[in-house]
Amino acid sequence: MTRPSTRILQAAAALVAVTFFLLPIAYLLSVSFKRKDDVLSGSFLPNDPTLANWPGAFEATSLATFIFNSVVVSILAGLVTIAITLPAAYAMIRLGIGRKLLPQATLASYIAPPIVGLIPFFFLLKMVGLINTHAGLILIYGFLNIPVAFWLLTPFLRRVPVEIEEAAALDGAGKLRTLVSVVAPMIAPGIAATTIIVVILSFNEFLLASGLTLSDAMRTLTVGISLFQGDRLVNFGQMAAASLAGILPIYLIALLMQKHLVEGLAHGGVK
Amino acid sequence: MSSIPMEGASARPATLHIAGRAASAELRRWSKFIWVAPLGFALVITTLYPTIFLIALATTKSTLGKPFRAFVGMRQITGALLDPAFQSAVFKGVAFAFASAIAELVIGFALASLFVALARAGRYLLIVVLLPLMTPPVMVGVAWKLILAPSGGLLNGVLMNWGITDAPISFLATPVPAWLSIGVADLWQWVPFVTILCFAALVSLPDGVREASMIDGAGPWQRLRHVTLPLVAAPLASIFLLKLIIGFKLFDLVYVLTFGGPGFATTNATFGIWRLALEQFDVGKAAAQTLIYAVVISIVTIPIVRLHRFASEHYS
Repeated sequence: MTRPSTRILQAAAALVAVTFFLLPIAYLLSVSFKRKDDVLSGSFLPNDPTLANWPGAFEATSLATFIFNSVVVSILAGLVTIAITLPAAYAMIRLGIGRKLLPQATLASYIAPPIVGLIPFFFLLKMVGLINTHAGLILIYGFLNIPVAFWLLTPFLRRVPVEIEEAAALDGAGKLRTLVSVVAPMIAPGIAATTIIVVILSFNEFLLASGLTLSDAMRTLTVGISLFQGDRLVNFGQMAAASLAGILPIYLIALLMQKHLVEGLAHGGVK
Repeated sequence: MSSIPMEGASARPATLHIAGRAASAELRRWSKFIWVAPLGFALVITTLYPTIFLIALATTKSTLGKPFRAFVGMRQITGALLDPAFQSAVFKGVAFAFASAIAELVIGFALASLFVALARAGRYLLIVVLLPLMTPPVMVGVAWKLILAPSGGLLNGVLMNWGITDAPISFLATPVPAWLSIGVADLWQWVPFVTILCFAALVSLPDGVREASMIDGAGPWQRLRHVTLPLVAAPLASIFLLKLIIGFKLFDLVYVLTFGGPGFATTNATFGIWRLALEQFDVGKAAAQTLIYAVVISIVTIPIVRLHRFASEHYS
């Protein structure tokens, strides 16, 4: 059906695209094995590979603490988001609460750029004593990602046949029981995809974390890395190793869950 | 003691029953709102509260240490409106959002079409393309900074080895190349997102559509223009809107790659406000600028939202 010349053209285009998307990560990996003077050689591969940058990155900064903070904050924030959004989205679809208001309010909240929240959140967290704490960041991220989760979850919830829920109701299950033990398991892939996406959003966030954490003990990875690169003694090899160490947890999740992720993105974003 | 409530209960069973039913109906009505109450509370904290707080800050002399020191009315807001540096920062923020959204939609759609044409292989490529999307923007910035570094960066190394330039180019220290560099890094991060969404829109098209137009003898461009594009117009408008909103939020890449420089060349509204608030601690002025930027975003987004509504009504 397709001419061979078209096939070759397509393969070439795909190769260019894949190279472009893999190159920065591959270069980061290569630089992480380069010695200090080798970094400036301008060659792609290290001339004299060394492993020293990896432990060096962990010694030069509190990298392990940063990674720990990011993982804890993003996972708990993800759970907060889902715990709030799933019942609300379900109630909107099945009980008709806020059918007009909720989509509009969540969209409006998503459009507002995060800089809008930076100063107000700073004063709010200071007032309630949660500035520079995990709990403060968890609540802010957990709340901020609700619009995304709302838009990702609703299409999945809509596809659950109402008959199944009616059958559960006949068996005497309350609405909450039905949601937890009938509906949630049915849309588990959608919930998984949504959770991963909001966890990644929190993990990657930088602007708010830079204003709401004040000490090394509380800093998240993105803030830690940004400080690392601001230091006067820039060691590119260590910086690359530190960046990769920080990306690794996310990539592992992404690769393990790639099927759910693609599906979640594909069904949620565009409706 | 125990006999009194017993007597009371038996004395008015009928009224209690009715009152109880009314109360439980009322309770049920209210209990329904418990489902959405936490979400409502969260939206108040993330949207309504910041808006009110920003208005209060923008109309008072405020620093990070001491907010609301003295009421100054509209002075800070008009000051920000008339500030040429801020005007240019807002313009840069808006221009970048549109330019990057348009470029990334075109490239992402082309890539998605390619992946659809490649069938099985295309699906594997989709997984590769997930990686940039998952990478924290700060790390994307670090990776591109290493590639673009004037001394010893990969790009300069290649350009000099191939004899294209004699001296290294400081991509990030010259205004136009600095913006292009931020653009390329943004492209790297967000084209995958657009590609995955376009891919989903394309594979959800009915199979018959493509085959029917093939039989008609329509060329690939005609097919794209008259068959495919109208069918995916609504999702494409959504994707454009989504990427546009993300573009307005640009911050991390500017922070890592250029820190707003050279000079103020790549200082967009978000970055300028951040510096004002967290480096100069002039929170009142920063709040005034934030409010103006939020209003500008709303105004320029309205036509796109309209377009999106038009596309969903006419093409699906």
